[in-house]
Amino acid sequence: MADRVTSVEQLIAEKHSRLLHQGFHLWPGLKLGKPPALGDYRWTADLILSTWVQAETGQPPANGLEYRVGNSGGGFDVLDFKYLPRDRWLSDSAAITLSIPLNCRPYDRRIEIPVPFYGGGMSYGSISEQVMLSRARASQAWKTFTSTGEGGYPASLLPYKNYVITQVATGMFGVREETIQYAPIVELKYAQGAKPGLGGHLLGDKVTTTVATMRESLPWVSLFSPFPFHSVYSVEDHKKHVDWIKTINPEALISVKISTPTDIDMVAVGSYYAGAQIIHIDGGYGGTGAAPEIAKKTIAMPIEFAIPRVHRYLLQEGIRHEVVIMASGGIRTADDIAKAVALGADGAVLGTTELVALGCTRCGNCERGRGCPFGLTTTDPELSRLVESDWGAERLSNLNRSFQLQLCEILRRLGLSSIRDLVGRTDLLVYRGQAGAV
Amino acid sequence: MRRSTRRDSKQYVVGRKDPRGDSVRPTGAYRRYQLETCLAPEIVPFPNRTRVKVSKPGLGLHLLKELIQHRRNPKVAVSRPCIYGVFSGPLGGFAPRDCMCVGCLRCTTEHPEMVRVYHNPERQHLGDSYFTPDIVETIYYEARTGRIPVRGAGYRGPFGGEGWDGMWTDMSEIVRPTRDGIHGREVISTAVDLGQKPPFLIFNDEGGLVDATPRTLTVPIPVLFDAPPASLLSDQLVKILALAAQQAETFLILPVCALKRFALGGPHIIPLVGMDDRDALGQLRGRPPMIELDGWNEALVQAIRMCLPDTSICLRYDFLLKEELLKHLRSGIRVFHLVANYHGMGRDGQFVLDLIREVHKFFVESRCRDEVTLLGSGGIIAAEHVAKAIICGLDAVALDTALLAALQTGFSGECADRETSHFRLPKRLTVDWGVRRVTNLVASWRDQLLEVLGAMGLREVRRLRGEMGRAMFQKDLEREAFSGIEGYGR
Repeated sequence: MADRVTSVEQLIAEKHSRLLHQGFHLWPGLKLGKPPALGDYRWTADLILSTWVQAETGQPPANGLEYRVGNSGGGFDVLDFKYLPRDRWLSDSAAITLSIPLNCRPYDRRIEIPVPFYGGGMSYGSISEQVMLSRARASQAWKTFTSTGEGGYPASLLPYKNYVITQVATGMFGVREETIQYAPIVELKYAQGAKPGLGGHLLGDKVTTTVATMRESLPWVSLFSPFPFHSVYSVEDHKKHVDWIKTINPEALISVKISTPTDIDMVAVGSYYAGAQIIHIDGGYGGTGAAPEIAKKTIAMPIEFAIPRVHRYLLQEGIRHEVVIMASGGIRTADDIAKAVALGADGAVLGTTELVALGCTRCGNCERGRGCPFGLTTTDPELSRLVESDWGAERLSNLNRSFQLQLCEILRRLGLSSIRDLVGRTDLLVYRGQAGAV
Repeated sequence: MRRSTRRDSKQYVVGRKDPRGDSVRPTGAYRRYQLETCLAPEIVPFPNRTRVKVSKPGLGLHLLKELIQHRRNPKVAVSRPCIYGVFSGPLGGFAPRDCMCVGCLRCTTEHPEMVRVYHNPERQHLGDSYFTPDIVETIYYEARTGRIPVRGAGYRGPFGGEGWDGMWTDMSEIVRPTRDGIHGREVISTAVDLGQKPPFLIFNDEGGLVDATPRTLTVPIPVLFDAPPASLLSDQLVKILALAAQQAETFLILPVCALKRFALGGPHIIPLVGMDDRDALGQLRGRPPMIELDGWNEALVQAIRMCLPDTSICLRYDFLLKEELLKHLRSGIRVFHLVANYHGMGRDGQFVLDLIREVHKFFVESRCRDEVTLLGSGGIIAAEHVAKAIICGLDAVALDTALLAALQTGFSGECADRETSHFRLPKRLTVDWGVRRVTNLVASWRDQLLEVLGAMGLREVRRLRGEMGRAMFQKDLEREAFSGIEGYGR
């Protein structure tokens, strides 16, 4: 009887999964128009549909969908590139490299990723294990990284451990010696852009028995990841944390994830002096999990303003060449990645983009009831079945391929042979907004 | 009905009258400020965000195919794409239940040729051009539940914009108070003092204090209720606002004529006296803690000072000339209520945010900012506006249209002007429901203020006032970030 129940559930999941895949293919074709209620200012219907195309084909869409910018009226959406005249573009056969180092210090291990982006932290519990696996497999295929988020390290990720960043955040959920030892990079999360200064909150409905076991908590009880680290009040305290990590895993690179307050430049310098190799700045307009609306819209500055502030300050301090700046929080497209780099980042961290590639419509119901109706940000066993990890890994790999193509094309048109040459090149940007105003 | 009690930070109330009664608390005593909320569902049908349309022939055909394909598993055949129950009514997809739709679009993604989800055009009739449908919907949620609106998948609005939208607040990476404590264990005070605050103490020859007691009123939240438009003044509305003000331990500003008409009075009401209210003092019941004047009237000010020496005087202005402010300051006025229209525009077309900053700066430069209290109203229609208005220089805000929206008041056309706007109160309005809605709204906004304060690492809202260094403006940030970029500033 149990087998029969399981198989019926499996059949139901397969049926809906198949139908969803058909929809992800059909809608971007535009033969039926665009879904009337899809999209918002930041993620327009075009951006969502074009991300689905890229996840399916590995190419940017060629049917007129706008795949480069949204309609937010500011930030990346009002910036463009000042491309060279066509006759000065690099040739199609010119070698263009997108690889970036993740450690620019003279010590510790060298890690280089072939594309200037990796996956951001999304915890087990906030997303399903299948989605985590999809991300890990795609990261392995691309030799880049994905991050555990603050929710522990499912055993199924172990085969991919060389491509998984372990996040240590304020709740310390799922943080163990071995999960730190697995990781080539350990990310200390001080704050996150979507809810800066507010910590995290996993609603009780999503704390299933498995999630609770992973986080060493009680099932069905809401979990607060407090803010801030109760043991950090200074750069020295932060250094102490770095030292703890280094004691457990001397090989690990240290990434520090911070939000974007007014003194982001000072925070970045402090992180550098505490020994971090990567400063991960998370702007307010991203975020995949649930957050108070007031926090997303109001607290902390958008990433577009934070990147140049940090980049210039580190330059002034003479330490920019020793630290890697990764930007996240509202980076949706390959163009956004390139613009972030031109503003001063070394690379970008993607979160929402990956979920959109897996079928997210950005409906925002991640925390409602059973969680995401597409099986992404949920721990519901039935809904989780909608995403199969092989399918997910393929979609993410395709998206990476499309981004790789676009980034190479951008560099080619700018006459640059390496993404590293684009860092801080605001002279290659053009402002398309209203005359220097809001 | 589900009831919940929210625990709030400790509020110290020193030797003053309890606004809920006439008892005097002993000096140094404190109690935890609590605002009880309970679910208050809408009484006027509220258009759902989306509408679901299903092609009936298409659905019939689809069902037939499914039944044939999954004939051995009818459960699989009839399993529906919606997990929220839109197709779970007696007629399934033939009569979708729009009210259950959360706009996830899974149904239309699975069945692009059969199901369409549209934005509901009826929703566009909510509010007006300033009080947008999104804001109305947010206020409905807050007034219904008393909770903080939370959604997933990041921010989805415009990048920035004019007015409030072009401003962000700061956060701190490492300082307390912590978020796990701000709604309970740890103390964040949202109390503010209204009234005149002497810059220093004066002692007599014997070393005794001379007139040392400041005439301040402490409210546990930096939110007052402004007078509703005259066209809406009714027994029911006035009672709702008065009872909600009493429950929230704040003040309701009400025209003195309404006090007499509706036989209202008490320590939680601030009478608003118009220029033509010749017998205003005679109409008052009891001794109000503060009187608000709707314009300067020297004789009336003198009369109040003579008859009601313990009563603070507040002057209501529509952002007038600074020289006039100074004149009234010299006349001993220490509480100013700056009033913009319902769209936040001042008399000269400036937005309320800029006006507040100007007035605050003026008082700072006049070296008297700590002696005066600045209240503000007009255009403050979201929880974030309270925090932003205080950062710009207000001590407290007085809510107007936000309260009306919480009560599901209909807006007829553009409702910008205080005198001529047309609002419609719901016919089924009851006092009990109204009080719950307004109380819920205030509780939700206070909790959101706590979020902002917590993120900034501030333990009291008094310290937020005029903290311009903790604010970020789009114009400034853009200039800093983009000034070297071609095309910027042209």
